[in-house]
Amino acid sequence: MQQLIFGLRDGSLFALVALGLVIIHNTTGVLNFAYGHMGMFAAYITFSCYAFFGFPLVLAILTGLVFAVIIGILTEKFLLRPIRHLSHSAMLIITLGMLMTLEGFALLIWKQDTRQLPNLITGRPLIINIQDTMLVITRQDLLIFVLTAVIVFGTFFYLKYTKLGLAVRASSQSEEAAKLMGIPVGGVYGFAWGFGTALSALAAILAAPKTYVHPNMMVNLQIQGLTAAVLGGFDSLPGAIVGGLLLGVIEQFVGEYISAELKMAFALIIIICLLMIKPSGILGKSSKGRV
Amino acid sequence: MLKLEEVKLKYGYVEALKGISLEIKGGTITCLLGANGAGKSTTLRAISGLNHAYDGKILFNDEEIQDKSPDNIVKRRIIHCPEGRKLFPGLSVHENLMAGAYVMKDKNRIKENLEEVYQMFPILADRRRQSAGTLSGGEQQMLAVGRALMADPELLMLDEPSLGLAPIIFEQIFDTLIELKKQGKTIFLVEQNANAALHISDYAYIIEVGSITLEGNANELLKDDRVKEKYLGG
Repeated sequence: MQQLIFGLRDGSLFALVALGLVIIHNTTGVLNFAYGHMGMFAAYITFSCYAFFGFPLVLAILTGLVFAVIIGILTEKFLLRPIRHLSHSAMLIITLGMLMTLEGFALLIWKQDTRQLPNLITGRPLIINIQDTMLVITRQDLLIFVLTAVIVFGTFFYLKYTKLGLAVRASSQSEEAAKLMGIPVGGVYGFAWGFGTALSALAAILAAPKTYVHPNMMVNLQIQGLTAAVLGGFDSLPGAIVGGLLLGVIEQFVGEYISAELKMAFALIIIICLLMIKPSGILGKSSKGRV
Repeated sequence: MLKLEEVKLKYGYVEALKGISLEIKGGTITCLLGANGAGKSTTLRAISGLNHAYDGKILFNDEEIQDKSPDNIVKRRIIHCPEGRKLFPGLSVHENLMAGAYVMKDKNRIKENLEEVYQMFPILADRRRQSAGTLSGGEQQMLAVGRALMADPELLMLDEPSLGLAPIIFEQIFDTLIELKKQGKTIFLVEQNANAALHISDYAYIIEVGSITLEGNANELLKDDRVKEKYLGG
């Protein structure tokens, strides 16, 4: 049981990362390689505000998230939109370039050192006794669960029932038709990038007490988030969540019962096997339009 | 209402429109006929702002609109119902219609329009929760027209609404267009099916490789020998 809780905790983070990746990919058709690093940069901003400028932690985090939204929107508007008509690979290359640039800047500004961000909330962990087994959930883990749940349901609700949500879903299905409905597609893309990047930043900040803040802190999470997205079917938002949680649990059990060092490798092998059985992912439909 | 003056448009190096001039009068059905690749769809794309003319003017109620973005054009109530329908396949029928009303601010008006569309095409009301991708070709075309009507078009532009439809169904669509004209809407119809289009139109233009080669009242063109030979099958 305890392993399951750890797994779900990690899985929640994977799910957050996957959700942002999928939102950006579904809406704009771009797989964002720099996604994790954009979150990493925002985590550094949070760290700087907190440690250097003495902001209260919550304010520092908000600053980091706002920064993420802005960098997401600017990237879309000035780096990707101008080359949208060229080719899909051109946009991929841009995000790869972003990845290296962000890493370089992070090294330049904050050096190699690992920095630390504290847990958002501390305090006595929650202890649940079920018959003979004792379950321990730290406050930070609890916060991760709750935040993930709120964000996931909030996002679904927003996309399903609001006008902007409809515009996002319409644009993701057919860019040209959305334009003909009078939907400002550029604005919708900006929204997707801003929101998606904020999710990456949030995941980075939540993970930071464990991973520490350093230029490569999000490399694993980016891979895990991507894997979760593929596992869930990539074009499906619920799939990204299910994929994330499942990957978290698989990794945890592999780590516990097979080998801690190889947990990521084993988890990936399991996923390859799963995908050989069902290539479109758990909740994916066979491809509809988007490249 | 709408006037094109010497509109020229290029795709890369290919000149798709070589100076198109035409006029659409308010309250009429005007059609643009021509073979595949003659520039019919491109003309519509130039008007709706999906592609921009590099030369020439497009005037809507005497205002130049050739450089406006698509959402700006839609706000002027020029609605382009594209070739091949271009529905949102994963969205439900209802959501497709609501997407069509994206620029509408007045909630009551949206509701009225929705009811009108469902009245016009009752089959859509039955399938309102079904995703658009599961509809038959005819139903999809009805949905495409319905979606365009959700934005209260002043000028409705339809690109080949008869494409791939059984005669009985496209007659139904064309009857709807006549009905819309009676309600005072202006319609610009692009068609390969010249015979059917000329029968419901007031005025017609014929386009060949990017230029208008013939124009006239629809009933006169129906009798014109050149039109008969080329577009009405002799």
